[in-house]
Amino acid sequence: MSGGSIPSGSTPRRRALPADAFLQLGLAILAVAAWEIVARAFGTDFWTSSPSAVAAELGRWAASGQLAVDLQLTLTEAGVGFVIGSVAGGLIGFILGWMTRLGDLFEPFILSLYTLPKIALAPLFVLWFGIGATNKIMFAAMLVFFMVFFTTYQGTRQVDRDLVENARLLGAGKWDIWTKIAIPYSAVWIFTGIRIGLPYALIGAIVGEFVAAEAGVGFRIKEATSFFNTAAVFAGLIVLMCISLVLLGLLKLLESRALAWQSAGNRVSAGDPT
Amino acid sequence: MSVHRLQSSPMNAVSEEPVAIDFDGVVARFGALHAMGPTTLSVRQGEFLAVVGPSGCGKSTLLNMVAGTLRPAEGVVRYKGDAVTAINHDVGYITQKNFCLPWRTVEANVRLPLEFRRIPKAEAARRVRIAIDKVGLGGFEKAYPRQLSGGMLQRVMIARTLAYEPDIYLMDEPFGSLDAQLRTRMHGELLKLWQETGATFVFVTHDLQEAITLADRVVVMSGRPGRPKRVVDIELPRPRDVIDIQSNPAFGAYVKELWAALDVH
Repeated sequence: MSGGSIPSGSTPRRRALPADAFLQLGLAILAVAAWEIVARAFGTDFWTSSPSAVAAELGRWAASGQLAVDLQLTLTEAGVGFVIGSVAGGLIGFILGWMTRLGDLFEPFILSLYTLPKIALAPLFVLWFGIGATNKIMFAAMLVFFMVFFTTYQGTRQVDRDLVENARLLGAGKWDIWTKIAIPYSAVWIFTGIRIGLPYALIGAIVGEFVAAEAGVGFRIKEATSFFNTAAVFAGLIVLMCISLVLLGLLKLLESRALAWQSAGNRVSAGDPT
Repeated sequence: MSVHRLQSSPMNAVSEEPVAIDFDGVVARFGALHAMGPTTLSVRQGEFLAVVGPSGCGKSTLLNMVAGTLRPAEGVVRYKGDAVTAINHDVGYITQKNFCLPWRTVEANVRLPLEFRRIPKAEAARRVRIAIDKVGLGGFEKAYPRQLSGGMLQRVMIARTLAYEPDIYLMDEPFGSLDAQLRTRMHGELLKLWQETGATFVFVTHDLQEAITLADRVVVMSGRPGRPKRVVDIELPRPRDVIDIQSNPAFGAYVKELWAALDVH
């Protein structure tokens, strides 16, 4: 056979043309302009505020130094909660997913927790953890935990048992099965769970701040609403949107490195011996 | 041994060899279902034995018992004289299912059993290289399974088995999912491997032509509960050309004989 070559990593996916980028930018400008015009022409700025007012509010918020404080608090709550929730969810999901006997035992409890709207636990968390940062951390951790746990548990349970049997025939001991089959296999599901769970860290922190808090981006939004300061509400929402986008970008980067094999190029055809 | 096999007629070559696998009154039951046996059958060392029979007659069950993944309900399976009571690490087991780990490259997949067996790195690298070359996958070492076609994946499975040099190859319809041309090609390569390794091959199939092309002996199993009904010696000359052999007049006669023995209505 002729020495086949493997196409390097990147799949020839259709890339957005520069023209598309201009179009998207145009659409964004159009939307902002429409927002401003509607607010001024129809005097709806009490309900919708306006981009100029929101920008001014953002500027004030930043200049006072309060934005940095709020941002730091909310990000810490969400971040610490995210790490705790991901680690615990990945670990327990992995263990219960692989130890089928244990998984079967806990299945009814897992299912009843699955259907519970977890947001409803927020008041209880105030009771347990007070109104400080701990409350938001635990709440965010709980939400993330369940997302990562369910995804890992269900994904891992689908493993082909023949694959494990085959590894045993090849000479694998218990430890080999865990390190060379189970963990890499579950990694895909843990990552999927983490990706789904990431927004929930922020949701947890914000909802926690809504319920009871003294600072943070969520607290600012709630406070602004009670003063009918729509511009400040929108300013808070825009800050949240920016945080989400940055987090998602970071996660994508991490995932593409950890699971490089998933994005390997498609079928090798040159020099295919079959 | 392989040289020996090349020069003499197959029957003479194998009948002198010691017994590698011995099924002694073996019965398989799955719950109340009497699936197979009693089966008494010996496989000689270095032999290429094919097992044919209707679906559900327990062909794969025989292989599982040699591999030690299934205990017989009655009787005993002996491997080199000792009863098989645990997983038998001397066997290579190849099915039509592909057990490549998707997160490992071809090379790393082939290396897997060597890692399990704690073979030193340098020796493992050497064996992986040889195995990959033998199955014609040179140049694809760094490819991931999802980049490969079905035939190439099957080659990876064979290379992975070759790498740890088992004494016995258990093959359960390994080419069942491949198209006809590719299958014929794989037959030729498999015969070459058999000759080079000198290992014992037990090959389960329901394709009579495939069985005759490859094997020294073909065991015909009855319907459930499956028992060996007939053992046919395939006295076609070796080495065999997988295309030419089909035009050998004896080939057609064997097909007829096996077909009659199967007695499928």
